[in-house]
Amino acid sequence: MEIFLLQVGNGLIIGSVYALVALGLNIIWSITDIPDFAQGSYYVIAAYAAYFVVTLVGAPFLVALLVGMCVGAVMSFSCERFLYRRWRERTFRGAARVQLLCAIALFFLFANVANALWTSKAKIFPAYMKGSLLGFSYMRINVLLAAIILFVLVYLFIMKTKMGKAIRAASMDLGMAQVLGINIDTVNSIVFIIGGALSGAAAVLISPLYSVFPTMGDLPLLKALVVVILGGFGSVAGILICGVGLGVLEALGAIYVSSAYQHGYSFIILLLTLLLRPKGLFGRV
Amino acid sequence: MQDLLVLKKLTKRFGGVIAARDVDLNLEGGMRLGIIGPNGAGKTTLFNMITGEIKPTAGTIEFEGEPIHGLKPHHISKRGIGRTFQIVRVFDEIPVYDNVLIGALARELHFKPTQEQHREVDETIEMTGLQKYRDVMAENLTVSAKKRVGLATALATKPKLLLLDELMAGLTFVEIDEMLELLRKINGEMGITLVVVEHVMKAVMELCERIVVISSGEKIAEGSPQEIANDKKVVDVYLGEEERT
Amino acid sequence: MLSVNRIALAIILIFLLLIPHIASSYIVYVVILALLFSMLTASYDLLTGYAGPLSFCHAAFYGFGAYTSALLTLKTGLSFWLALPISGITVFLFGALVGYPALKLRGHYFAVTTFFFGHFIYLVFLNARDLTRGPLGLGGIKPPDSIFGIDFSGMTANYYLILIFGILMVGFLYALVNSGFGRLIVSIRENEDLAEAVGVNTAFVKVMAFSISAGLAGITGSLFAHFFRLLHPSTFSWMTSEMIVVMALVGGIGTLVGPIIGAGVVTFILEMMRFAPELRFIIWAILLVAILVIEPRGLAGIYARIRGGR
Repeated sequence: MEIFLLQVGNGLIIGSVYALVALGLNIIWSITDIPDFAQGSYYVIAAYAAYFVVTLVGAPFLVALLVGMCVGAVMSFSCERFLYRRWRERTFRGAARVQLLCAIALFFLFANVANALWTSKAKIFPAYMKGSLLGFSYMRINVLLAAIILFVLVYLFIMKTKMGKAIRAASMDLGMAQVLGINIDTVNSIVFIIGGALSGAAAVLISPLYSVFPTMGDLPLLKALVVVILGGFGSVAGILICGVGLGVLEALGAIYVSSAYQHGYSFIILLLTLLLRPKGLFGRV
Repeated sequence: MQDLLVLKKLTKRFGGVIAARDVDLNLEGGMRLGIIGPNGAGKTTLFNMITGEIKPTAGTIEFEGEPIHGLKPHHISKRGIGRTFQIVRVFDEIPVYDNVLIGALARELHFKPTQEQHREVDETIEMTGLQKYRDVMAENLTVSAKKRVGLATALATKPKLLLLDELMAGLTFVEIDEMLELLRKINGEMGITLVVVEHVMKAVMELCERIVVISSGEKIAEGSPQEIANDKKVVDVYLGEEERT
Repeated sequence: MLSVNRIALAIILIFLLLIPHIASSYIVYVVILALLFSMLTASYDLLTGYAGPLSFCHAAFYGFGAYTSALLTLKTGLSFWLALPISGITVFLFGALVGYPALKLRGHYFAVTTFFFGHFIYLVFLNARDLTRGPLGLGGIKPPDSIFGIDFSGMTANYYLILIFGILMVGFLYALVNSGFGRLIVSIRENEDLAEAVGVNTAFVKVMAFSISAGLAGITGSLFAHFFRLLHPSTFSWMTSEMIVVMALVGGIGTLVGPIIGAGVVTFILEMMRFAPELRFIIWAILLVAILVIEPRGLAGIYARIRGGR
């Protein structure tokens, strides 16, 4: 029983990471129809940035977290502004694919840049808080707490602010939104900034637990994509539930079935879901 | 003689919207039938159910005595029903000739298209007046030329029944007359049964032997062009719309 | 085909035939790699260039063929000459099994799913230690058994073997793509709904294209296994799948010859970079972005532009 609860806890924590990245991916995908693989590499760079801020400058963790979020946001914003946007109007048939391929190229690009600059040797991110509760260090619990806070913030932004309403309108009907005078350039930029910030946050939060290395973004990106597809494009809460749920299922699967294929479970869950419910579990689009 | 196409109580519901309600239709082979009605009345929905793009909610569709409702579009096409689309569809980045050839090959696949098939494609292209566009990429054509490509491709599948969705839209008077002549030829010489959905009244009145009027998903009238023109219900449905706007 | 193209083709073929006699064994090795990648990009092009769906799991089929062939010969003593076609057919069937449900997905969903699938297969290679020995690598694979008195333990013999298979494969693809069935495949890319409406069984044609593409990758895998004689899961990761995509794009998908040229060009660029391995992947990622920005139709598109095309 103890092991079960421990794994559920671990699953909740790692699931929070998936959920954060997935939220950003979801918002981006639903507005721009781009599965932004590059978020997985902003994740990596943000983690390194936070690491250096802490180890070289001695900054407190909260500052590192903010730095990570900013780095993620800036990178995400820039790539949209200077690359994806070129093909936004989709004037030729392969344009959607070009955006996807660009996203994947960027994903590999920045991860490999990190590898080239800082080698594949993992960097240990210093612990920023001591102590634990019920067998989980406070740092672990913070991941879940921070994720919930960020989710609430994004939810409030989307639901209550004017820009949030514009974003929702754009996700439902882009053409109509433009006709109504919503500035798509601004919407796109904001959406990518949010996505990048969320990826950065996820990366920095998890770094003290699992260290920093160039391929750290691979699996969270994959899982986040699974969550986005599973959760459908409708609901913020759905993303959180699916993300955390996936983390828990994976963690339990690792103990009770086989740890070797732990990362394959998400794929199997995805395949089954797509076969049975092609629109995702909470999907509306 | 058995009717070519029989619709019995054909119904389609999209959530709360009833796009087609209990539509009955008996179509004899060789006929030229017109389907008219206000916009959004459900005419294209009927086509989509006949060709398998969507499944009926209730009712049956029989073609040559065999039920075809619920079959996949390519099965229905193989049975001999061809169509054109309201929003014109072509195979964009290949030449017109290749477009029509695909229709022929879909009908009868060979490792290498036969001489016979090439000849038939050429004939179809000539019949539809597309010779000078033979090697032009389909996407580079005007909308009316693309419509003819769509028609030629459908003809290449050797249909017994051809469903034409707003073929005349956007054509000039001269083009309409040319198209009507072509359609009469297709019906008369090739024996293909025609069902046309149209808003261009002149075309429907001149071409069709029988007309069906659809409004809000229901068939409200059926008869010869003369009868339909004098039918108060039909006039109301059209004029009524005008009064409201 | 214009005679300019035919002359160029002849020159390239003659050149390829002469390579083992005029170049060092290192160059021969690199050309073999280029040939293998050419076979992979050509088979990839059948699916993505001609049928349409963008896939990211080609390397998984490559690896599946490689491991299947290796294990068949290692565990059952079967001859390479039988293991090769059996691997091809096995991967073909596997492709059909996977493709049938997957191809019901459209657009991005399909692409992303193949990404997962490719990674999943990689995980299987990595973790099925009883079969594949995982990261330790599967070694001791024998070269093809000698036939007609030819011994295949040397590089030269393998070179010609792979070259011949490459020519056969490209010839097969060329015939397929220009056949009646090939035109139906293209109809799906051009307008899938219209194709279905004119009587093309789009589900069947898509799955066929996917499976044939996979099967050919499997055959290439078998050739690789018996040439390189050591298999490691990292050879068949999503990086390799991505590399195949880049090569095909650089050359220009949908042209068959484009991806082959792309494979050649990129292989040589990467080999020149082998002194700085970390830079290699950065280079091809930048290359991909550059191609996308400048001319998404790749070299073939640039060639068409020069010749006054669109």
